[in-house]
Amino acid sequence: MNRSPARTARRGLATALVLALPLALSACGGGDTDEGADGTTSITVGVIPIVDVAPIYLGVEKGFFKEEGLDVELELAQGGAAIVPAVASGQYQFGFSNTTSLLLAQTQDVPVKVVTAGVNATEDPSADMSGVLVKAGSDIKSPKDLEGKKVAVNTLKNINTTTTNELVRQDGGDPTKIEYVELAFPEIGPAVEKGDVDAGQVVEPFLTIGTQAGMTDLGSNFVAADPGLAVAEYFTSTSFAESDADTVEAFTTAMNESLDYAQAHPDEVKKILPTYTDIDESVVAELNMPQWTSEIDAESIEKLADLADQDKLFAKDPDVDALLP
Amino acid sequence: MRLLTTLAYALALPIVLVVVWWFASAGSESVFWPPLSKIVGVFGETWNADRWTGDVLPSLARLAVGYLVALVLGVLLGVLIGLHRPVRAFCEPTLEFFRAVPPPVLVPVIALFLGYTGDTSKVVTIAVGCVWPILLNTVEGVRGLDEVMLDTARCYRLSAWTRLRQVVLRGASPQIAAGARQALSIGVILMVISELFGANRGLGASIVQFQRSFAIPQMWTGIILLGILGFLLSVLFRLVEHYALAWYRGLRQADRGA
Repeated sequence: MNRSPARTARRGLATALVLALPLALSACGGGDTDEGADGTTSITVGVIPIVDVAPIYLGVEKGFFKEEGLDVELELAQGGAAIVPAVASGQYQFGFSNTTSLLLAQTQDVPVKVVTAGVNATEDPSADMSGVLVKAGSDIKSPKDLEGKKVAVNTLKNINTTTTNELVRQDGGDPTKIEYVELAFPEIGPAVEKGDVDAGQVVEPFLTIGTQAGMTDLGSNFVAADPGLAVAEYFTSTSFAESDADTVEAFTTAMNESLDYAQAHPDEVKKILPTYTDIDESVVAELNMPQWTSEIDAESIEKLADLADQDKLFAKDPDVDALLP
Repeated sequence: MRLLTTLAYALALPIVLVVVWWFASAGSESVFWPPLSKIVGVFGETWNADRWTGDVLPSLARLAVGYLVALVLGVLLGVLIGLHRPVRAFCEPTLEFFRAVPPPVLVPVIALFLGYTGDTSKVVTIAVGCVWPILLNTVEGVRGLDEVMLDTARCYRLSAWTRLRQVVLRGASPQIAAGARQALSIGVILMVISELFGANRGLGASIVQFQRSFAIPQMWTGIILLGILGFLLSVLFRLVEHYALAWYRGLRQADRGA
């Protein structure tokens, strides 16, 4: 067979160009929204199937978004880490993410901007949406005993570890001696039960599932960080905030209405949960509800920034003022 | 001269790709597609001594152990099944079934039995995924052995051990090597996947961690490092194969010449 090197080289270049094409294309993702004939604007919001986002489901059902001329499509994502890139690149117009992830994103120059509050912890450490589970009869009696132990969290180096560290610190323990491992929330309870890890930090509904199974809750890491902690927010990309200020304002208005409505109507929240989560009814009845408010708690966000800074999560200092509206 | 041409052919495409990537991404403002220059810039500081000893080497050690377990197990069982027709008829459909199950779906199952954290479940995941191509190729290799040669060896009253080593294993070794090469790439994939569950350190876990904390250039360095390691492993494999199968190459050349 006789193959000329020049031809091979040409073919190589063609392959290279084909492979490089997505690189060039991805650089121009837009944040356009579709304007419907009747004047409604279609938006996509990235959310996670957890208790925290009940207000937006309730708001859509109640027509709060329709009133503002918004046609909302809710996209369920596996976790906040998948939502941030989708919003930053214009795939979704809005998203729900925990505060620490948003701060982290900002320090890495990911163009995100908070539009409104998402969910807050309670003020009561014994009735919060977050907690640290240990096996019944465990040697670990209080948070400081977590020193030198293996603790499961849903995401390493994020809100769950920084607040759990604070819980241990306040109890007089040294959080740097904790060994964290990453497990999905549903697997944390079974891993604690098996003794595979010594403790696990979880949020609702896994906290109630755990305590119903006889496990002990050492206390709320969120409340330890700050009573009523600003756990998560709704956000958009900085470019969308500038180019579509009207849509952002309409979303903020409808979202705030939804948050206040959810806070005032816990029974309706409990009714809507089974429509987008797999939470068992017996668990729903016992859930510790978070708090919803339309006020962004800037101090609380500063507090989370300080905790993350203390754990050396940031490459550079976050600019909380620039992140908030 | 010939070596130079070979080298030029081997390096041309990678160089073109890198150059295209470098210039196509040069002015990129997107956080998620950082310029290659930036990625290269953070490579050194990202993969520092601590990451090598804490993440990369443990990952590679788990890969090595899992792969070797699969190799020993695969060849042992493969010879046993390949040499005995009834055993083969008995096992083969079942083996094909297990081979068809994608190993990544077994990760949660393995984690359930062997614990979510720790090295055991990860090593077992790698071994379980790697064993099938080795096992099935060994069976094929042993089955395809020349009957006359086996009988001749028996007639010469070679001991069972010598027959196994010099006739069976040697005769099947080209096939075993083909299976082992397939298994190596599966092993690298599983090394990463096994660290997505219940891990805090490791090469795969680091890449996910970078992605979660939006350290995108660092994430890219991890992906590039994985590619380089995979490439080096395959070069290493070829070297071993080159020496182990020297007789086979000689045989084929002789055949062709005849």
